[in-house]
Amino acid sequence: MSYQGRSGRTTQLVSIGLLNMPLIFITALLGLIGVMVLYSVAGGDFSPWAWRHATRLAVGLLLMYAIANLDLRTIFNFSYPIYGGVFLLLIAVELVGNSGMGAQRWLNLGFVTLQPSEFMRFALIMALARYYHTLHRDDVSQPLGLVVPMAMIGLPALLVFAQPDLGTALMLAASGIGLVFLAGVSMRYFLAGIAIAIAAVPVVWNYLFEYQKERVLVFLDPERDPLGAGYHIIQSKIGIGSGGLFGKGIAQGTQSQLNFLPERHTDFVFAIYAEELGFIGSIILIFLFAVMIFLMFNIAAQMRHRFSQLTIAGFAFALSIYVTVNLAMVMGLAPVVGVPLPFISYGGTSLLTFMAGLGVILSMERQPMADLPK
Amino acid sequence: MSIYDTEGQNFSRRLLMLGGLQAGLFLVLAGRLQFLQVARSDVYATLAEANRVNISQISALRGRITDRSGKLLADNDRNLQIRMVPEQVADMDVTLNDLGRLLNLDRSAVNEMRRKISRVPSFKPVVVLEDLSWDAFAALNLNLPYLSGVEPVVGQKRVYPHAQSVAHLVGFVGTKTREDLRRVDDIVGDHVGRSGIERHFERDLRGTPGVRHVEVNAIGRTVRELQSEPGEKGRDLALSIDLDLQIFSAQRLKGLSGSAMVMDIHSGEMVSMVSAPSFDLNKLSRGIEVEEWERLVDHERKPLVNKAMRGLYAPGSTFKMLVALAALEDKLIDPEEKISCTGIYKFAREEFHCWTSQGHGPVNMIDAIERSCDTYFYDLALRVGIDRIESMARRFGFGKSTGIDLDGEKSGTVPGRDWKRANYDTGWRTGETIITAIGQGYLLATPLQLAVMTAALANGGKLLQPRIIKTDNAVEPISELRLKPENLAIVQRGMYRSVNRPDGTAYASSLLIDGARMSGKTGTVQVRRISKDERLTGVIPNSKLDWHLRDHSLFVGYVPHNNPRYAVSVVIEHGGGGGQVAAPIARDIMVQLLKNKNIVRPAKLVGKDNSEVAS
Repeated sequence: MSYQGRSGRTTQLVSIGLLNMPLIFITALLGLIGVMVLYSVAGGDFSPWAWRHATRLAVGLLLMYAIANLDLRTIFNFSYPIYGGVFLLLIAVELVGNSGMGAQRWLNLGFVTLQPSEFMRFALIMALARYYHTLHRDDVSQPLGLVVPMAMIGLPALLVFAQPDLGTALMLAASGIGLVFLAGVSMRYFLAGIAIAIAAVPVVWNYLFEYQKERVLVFLDPERDPLGAGYHIIQSKIGIGSGGLFGKGIAQGTQSQLNFLPERHTDFVFAIYAEELGFIGSIILIFLFAVMIFLMFNIAAQMRHRFSQLTIAGFAFALSIYVTVNLAMVMGLAPVVGVPLPFISYGGTSLLTFMAGLGVILSMERQPMADLPK
Repeated sequence: MSIYDTEGQNFSRRLLMLGGLQAGLFLVLAGRLQFLQVARSDVYATLAEANRVNISQISALRGRITDRSGKLLADNDRNLQIRMVPEQVADMDVTLNDLGRLLNLDRSAVNEMRRKISRVPSFKPVVVLEDLSWDAFAALNLNLPYLSGVEPVVGQKRVYPHAQSVAHLVGFVGTKTREDLRRVDDIVGDHVGRSGIERHFERDLRGTPGVRHVEVNAIGRTVRELQSEPGEKGRDLALSIDLDLQIFSAQRLKGLSGSAMVMDIHSGEMVSMVSAPSFDLNKLSRGIEVEEWERLVDHERKPLVNKAMRGLYAPGSTFKMLVALAALEDKLIDPEEKISCTGIYKFAREEFHCWTSQGHGPVNMIDAIERSCDTYFYDLALRVGIDRIESMARRFGFGKSTGIDLDGEKSGTVPGRDWKRANYDTGWRTGETIITAIGQGYLLATPLQLAVMTAALANGGKLLQPRIIKTDNAVEPISELRLKPENLAIVQRGMYRSVNRPDGTAYASSLLIDGARMSGKTGTVQVRRISKDERLTGVIPNSKLDWHLRDHSLFVGYVPHNNPRYAVSVVIEHGGGGGQVAAPIARDIMVQLLKNKNIVRPAKLVGKDNSEVAS
């Protein structure tokens, strides 16, 4: 057993056996399912996606383990600086970012391209958790106690929205609001917030870009533009539906293999999975995500620090809305907003930030009694 | 501790709420999956299959058309084409210019290609150029990598070895159009019959198309072929036509406007059927310029019209046999009774002229047919009356299409009291009966109807449906006219004499081959009014009149006179006298026919043996 001295320095690495093995196992399993689907999407080829996904998964597991080794106080201390740093990166993207698919999302650092909006989801959760950790319980529903978290959520969300990346901005805002909810902010505010949100719909509608409006309209009626914006939804539903109970088999999905499904290695990866592994495979996948989220909620419930409670539960909630929104979108239950399926969709930043988050959870679970400043 | 506890409880409660919400959402997703993958799986599986599989038709080879002995009238040949899918062409202007340079096309040809492309939706393949030479086709194939969206195709085209002689009969094909699709529901293949046999027998000729199932990807590119069912070639059609006689007849009508046909009086088969002037089937099947098309349509002599069945003419004197039969059948005249012809017949202050102003003197029925005496029939008309004439004309098939296997046949007009009332809202005048008796006035018939009439006169009174497809089966007549043989014999004797006696109107066209002679009747149809003044100064001869004012020249007849086998019908528009123009043509065709032993099979005897007519 490792022991962390008062200095905060780790004297030796944590034994893997002390970490939450079910969580690690499910994470690795989901990542491997991603490798399999990406292998299939490429027509039964490890290049161009499956190998790299597998490599990132391995790196991600190492990263997870490394973070699990961190002293909780270190994580606590770095939570604000990380948030500040990522916030600055978002501003940098706005100024010098590379455009991809009509939006500025990537920051090219020369050796690696970063998508700061993906980091922000994670940074925001920890920063908010720290804020509520230090905030007195009685002040949670006070005006000042509301304004500060709203600003912490709203400013990065607006920056991401401006990239423009409506999907990630909404995910970010939803993750933050979920955490605020967990922190115990009075229900009245949420009810009021929902009412305001509904009232704001027509106003927001006017500020949406044409393509965003089109996506919503097409979601409501995919046949409106079957070869254009509605094409994704229609082809995706055909892919899923034609899979039937048992699926067409790995690398046998005609929708995928014959290129009818666009973006099938990123946001629409589940359509391929469902086409090839059928209803049974799909239910198993949803079950795996549900177990993962349950495990996290369970860990959160056992925590004694508000910082840990809120970080873990906030992270679990963020994961759950990513999964839900992605699946709903692919199944034609939600408009197409660019949200990847965690652990499975191809994309380095997404995979690594989710795994880094899991590392933090493992670290927190390991140190339930750590001495944190109030 | 209490703070921790309430805080902890509060957090747990919120956690539970979010967990419950999430569980609910997952259930919704699972329900959606159940709907898509279990409940509606069949629907989506079908859609995926439809996505994946592209079904295209392989057009079947069109059936060939031959004459009765197997000589080709319509055949298929290789057609090297360039096909384009406009939306797959990166830059249409560049591609068209490249093609133009590669194949040495002039500007108008390139513009024509552009026009063809603009007429179809851009995802549909369109044939932009046809009938390429091998060299051009090879050059195209060599440069294919530089021409995206351009596809060399080996197609089929229709060729007609005897394009002019069989033009109206065989008909031509054209590229299918929207109207064709409406007319024949399941049209496939490049071509569709537009006229004649090609049109009427479209369903037989086109065969069953093959089907090709190919797996395609999202942009429609073929990934692999899944299965193919080869089509079934169209049915070959053997026509009843004898090509040699057909070509001879067409040659004989060269320079004239009209039609000539020979019909087997027992089977109804048409042995030849020509219409003049003609046109080039090959040209029309390829598609011709609009101006050239309009020139053909507007031409004074109507080359595109099959005059054999679409030309309507007053039958003139060829109708006299029916008037005679109408009288004989009801015993309204003794055939030996003589009526005196002075050249002019007066009735109710009107004067009716016989064709010869000198008159024929006293003539009986056989004389009247032989010499085509109008006066005899004027007088007979008053005894018979329009009702019997009308009825007899209808029994012989006038006023109704004959039912030949070709589209667009005209039915003609048989006037009568009801008809006059319906069309002119006035009563029938007796003077009109007189005119009708010599086949003029309102009466109109097609040359084909005259052939059917003649066949019925020659075969003992069987009205046959003329047919164009060779048949070996026994044929049921449309109707038995139930005419008394002795009455028919009188008419036949008149027709025999008309051709074979020096006084007959067609004596110059008599023939004798192996004991066979021709019987027949001339007809000369006036197309203008002859005024009183002109009659006084002398009727202007046809040769001095403008073409369109000259008389129509008609002749109907049959061979051999004593054992009839073939009927002939010749109508030359504005040709002049029936005996001078139509009868010699009929004779030449019949001589050609009788010399050809292949066509003249031993004939069954019909009715009573009428060899005595020859005596």
